[in-house]
Amino acid sequence: MTDASSAQPLPQRLPERPPAAAEDPSWLQIVWGQFKKRKIPYYSMWGVFGLFLIAVYAPVFISNKPFVWNGGDGLEFPWLTTLFNRNTYENAIDIFFNSLLLPGTLLIVPVAVVWRRTAGRPRRARIAARQRAMLGAFGAWAVALVALLAFPLQAPTPVYPEVEATLEAAGTPVTAVYAPVPYSYRGTDISKAMEGPSTEHLLGTDGAGSDVFARMVFGTRVSLTVGIFAVLLYITVGTVVGAVAGFFGGRLDTLLMRIVEVVICIPSLFLVLSVAAFIPERSIFHIMLIIAAVAWTGPARLVRAEFLRLRELDFVAAARASGFGKASIIFEEILPNALGPVLVSATFGVASAILVESTMSFLGLGDISVPSWGQILATGRQTSSWTLILAPGFAIFLTVSLLNLLGEGVRDALDPKLRS
Amino acid sequence: MLQYAVKRILWMIPTFFMISLVVFVLINLAPGNPGQAGGAENGQSGQSVQSESVIFFKRQFNLDKPILVNTRTRLTQGEVRQLIVTARSVEGTPTPAQIIAAKDALEDYGNYLVRHLVALQADDANPDVRRLATSYLLTAATLSMTSETAGDAAAARDVNRERDAYNRVFRDWSCAAAAPPECVGETTAKWQAWWAENRSTYEYTAAETAWAFFFDTRFATYWRNLVHLDFGVSANSREPILDLVLGKLKYSVSLSLTAVMLAYLVAVPLGVYSAVRSGSRADTVLTAGLFVLYSLPTFFTGTVLLQLLSQGTPVKWFPTGDFQSQAAIPTTLGSLADIAWHLALPVATSTSVALAALSRYARTGVIDVIRADYIRTARAKGLEEPVVIIKHAVRNGMIPILTLLGGILPVLVSGSVVIEVVFNIPGMGQFLVESIGQRDYNAVMAVLLASAVLTLVGILFSDLSYALVDPRINLD
Repeated sequence: MTDASSAQPLPQRLPERPPAAAEDPSWLQIVWGQFKKRKIPYYSMWGVFGLFLIAVYAPVFISNKPFVWNGGDGLEFPWLTTLFNRNTYENAIDIFFNSLLLPGTLLIVPVAVVWRRTAGRPRRARIAARQRAMLGAFGAWAVALVALLAFPLQAPTPVYPEVEATLEAAGTPVTAVYAPVPYSYRGTDISKAMEGPSTEHLLGTDGAGSDVFARMVFGTRVSLTVGIFAVLLYITVGTVVGAVAGFFGGRLDTLLMRIVEVVICIPSLFLVLSVAAFIPERSIFHIMLIIAAVAWTGPARLVRAEFLRLRELDFVAAARASGFGKASIIFEEILPNALGPVLVSATFGVASAILVESTMSFLGLGDISVPSWGQILATGRQTSSWTLILAPGFAIFLTVSLLNLLGEGVRDALDPKLRS
Repeated sequence: MLQYAVKRILWMIPTFFMISLVVFVLINLAPGNPGQAGGAENGQSGQSVQSESVIFFKRQFNLDKPILVNTRTRLTQGEVRQLIVTARSVEGTPTPAQIIAAKDALEDYGNYLVRHLVALQADDANPDVRRLATSYLLTAATLSMTSETAGDAAAARDVNRERDAYNRVFRDWSCAAAAPPECVGETTAKWQAWWAENRSTYEYTAAETAWAFFFDTRFATYWRNLVHLDFGVSANSREPILDLVLGKLKYSVSLSLTAVMLAYLVAVPLGVYSAVRSGSRADTVLTAGLFVLYSLPTFFTGTVLLQLLSQGTPVKWFPTGDFQSQAAIPTTLGSLADIAWHLALPVATSTSVALAALSRYARTGVIDVIRADYIRTARAKGLEEPVVIIKHAVRNGMIPILTLLGGILPVLVSGSVVIEVVFNIPGMGQFLVESIGQRDYNAVMAVLLASAVLTLVGILFSDLSYALVDPRINLD
C-alpha cells in the first residue's frame, strides 16, 4: 500500500459519520438491546406479561355475573356493575386488579395517543411529554383505586344462574350472556364436590365444590400480588438500610450489619410460619409483610457492598465538592448506579416470594379467604386427586421458572463483561 | 486459625442472644393472646373456674409478665382504681373490650397491685370499690403454685406446700356483694393488720424497681431458664421441650445430612462434566434439566413422588410415611435397610432441591477456572486432559461450592418442614407445624432457636473450611 492510497479514503469516510441529530443510546437502551439478544429471557418476559394479563382480565373469562341480563325488568349489566362490589369481589386484591381491568385499560388510550403524536419530536421534549402522559394516567388510576377502596360498593347481588333457573321454571323468558366459565372462585356447591375434569368444570371441582379452573386463574392474581408487593416492600427497606450503612460506614454500619446477621441466622421459613400462625384472621397482606420482614437482608447487603465501592469514586467526590447534601448524594448520585444487582435480586425475589406464599398455603398457614395454588395442591394431596396436584404444581412451576429465566436474562444484560 | 475460630465461637453468643430476642419479641408481639388460646380448651370464658385455670396457665408459662420491660412498680393508686371500676363497671359504662382489657390487666399485674389495693380498701370513697379492692387483694396476694409435673417434682412440692401455708392465712378474707356491711369492716381490719406485717414485701426500693424493670419479664425469665438448658415444658404434653426437640432433631438431621451428601456426590460430577463439555448438547440438556428441578417447588415434587410411588397410582413401592417401621427389626443392617426404604422418597425430594443449585454453582466454578492461565500452562506441559481437569481445574473450581455447604444446611432444615409434613416424618419440621397449631409457644421458640444454632454452626463451618482449603485466605 502506498501512502497516497491509504490517505485517500479518509475524506470520503467523513460524511458517513452519524449526523449530529442522532441520539446516543441511553444506558437503559443498551441494557434493553443486550437483553433482547437472548431469546429465552426475552420470551420469558412476555410470558410473565401474559400471566399478568391473565390476572388482570380474569373476570372477562370467569364470572358468574352475566354481561347482559334481561329477567323481564329491562336490560341490566351485572358483570359491569358488580366489578367493584365488595359482595362479589370481597378481597382488596381483586378490587386492585379490577381497577387495572377497567379504568386501567381505558387509560391506555390517551397514553397511546400521546405516544404516537410525540414520536417525531426531539428526545428531551418527547420524553418529557410521554412522562407527563404516563404520570397523568397513573395518577388518574391511583385516584380511582383509592376511591374504590375507601368507599366500597356493597349492594347485595343475586346468584344469577339460580335466579335464571327459578324464572325459567316460572315460564319467564330470560336473556343472559355469561362469561365462558360461568363460575365464581368463591361459589361452592357441596353436591358437586371433588368431581373430575369435565366440559362443565375444566379442571373439576375441589372439596367444597368450587370450580378449580376459576380458582387457578384467580390464584394468578394472588401469587403475582404477593410476589411483587412483598418484593417492592423489602427492596425498599433493604435498599435504604444498605445505602445508609454503606454510605456512612463506621459504627452505624457495624450496628446495621449485626442486625442483618442476626436476621439471616434465623431460618426464614420457620420464622415465617411461626409468626403467620400466631396472627388471628391473617390476610394476604400479613403474609406479604412477613415475607418482607425476613427477606430485606438480601438487598441490604447488596446495596451496602455497592455503596462501599461507589462512594470512593470520583463522581461522588465531585458531588461532595459541589456542595450536594448527603441525602441527594445517596439517593440521586450513588443509588441509581447501585440498583443493577438489586434489580436482578428483585426478579429472583418475586419467584421465591411466590414459592414461600404457596408453601405457606400448602401447609394451611396462608390466607384461606383467597384462592391460592398451594391450597389447591394441599387439597389434591389429601384427596389423592391428580388434577388438583398437577394443575397448581404446573402453574407454580411455570410462574417460578419464567421469573427465574427472566432474572437470569436481566443479570446477563446488566453485566458489562458479557456485552458484545 | 484457631484464634479466629475461638473468636467466631465467642461472637456466636451475643448473636444467639440477639436472635432469641428477635424471635421472642416477634412471636410474643404477634397479635393473638396465648393465654386465651391455651385456656380456651377449658371451657367458655367468663366463668370463674375457667378464669382461675387461665390465671394458672398464664402464671405457669409466665404469660402474665410483660414481654421485655416491666414498669409495673410505677403503677399508681389512681390507675388501679380505674382498672377496678372499669373491670366491674362500677362507675360509667365501659365498652366490652375495655372491660376485658381491664380484667386481663388485673389478673396479670398480680403482686404489683397489693399496696394500691390495700390503700383503696382502707380509704376509697366508694364502698363498692372498697369491697372489690378486698376481693382483688385476695387474688393478688395469693402466691401461685408451681408446676409439679416438670423438673424436680419433690422440690416443687415442698415449695407449693410452703406457699399453700402462706396463702391459707387469708383464704376467707373477702366479702360477697350480699354480705352484711360489718363483714367489709372486719376483713379490712384483718388485711390492714396483715399489711402492717408484710408491707416491706410489696413496697419497692429503687434497686427492686430497676430489677423488676429488666428482670421480672417474660424474656428475662425465659433466659434464666435457658441458662440451665431449661426450655420449659410443652403446653400440650407437659413434657420438657428439650427432650422432645432432641428426639425430633435426629430425624431431621439424618434426613438433611443424607440429602446434602447425596447432592454433593451427584452435583459435583454433573457440574464438572457440564463445564468441561460447556456448550455441547449434553451440557444444554443437563442445564435445562437442572433448571427445571430448580424451579419445582419441594411440596410439589414430594407430593408427586408420593402419589406415583407409594399411593398406588401406579405403584406402591415405598411406604407412605414415617421414619421406620413400627415393628422391631432384630438386625442392625435390617433396620438400616428399613430406614433407607422409608427415607428414599423424602431424601430424593430433598436432594433434588439442593442438587440443582449445587451443580449450577459447580459448573460456573469450573468454567471460571478452566479459562485461567495455569490450566493453559498445565496443558502446555503436556499433561493428560483428565489430570488437568481433576487435579488442576476441579480442585480450585470447587472452592465456592464448599462455602455453599454452610448455606445449604439451614435451607434444608427449613425445607424439612415441607418434606416432613408431606412424608409424615416425625422430625423437627413436623413438630413445629404441630406446635404452631396448638399454640405451644415454648415448643416453637425451642425449634426456632435450635435451627438458628444449626445455622450459626453451619456458617462457621463453611467459613472455616473456606480458609482451610484456600491458602489465599488468611483469617488471622
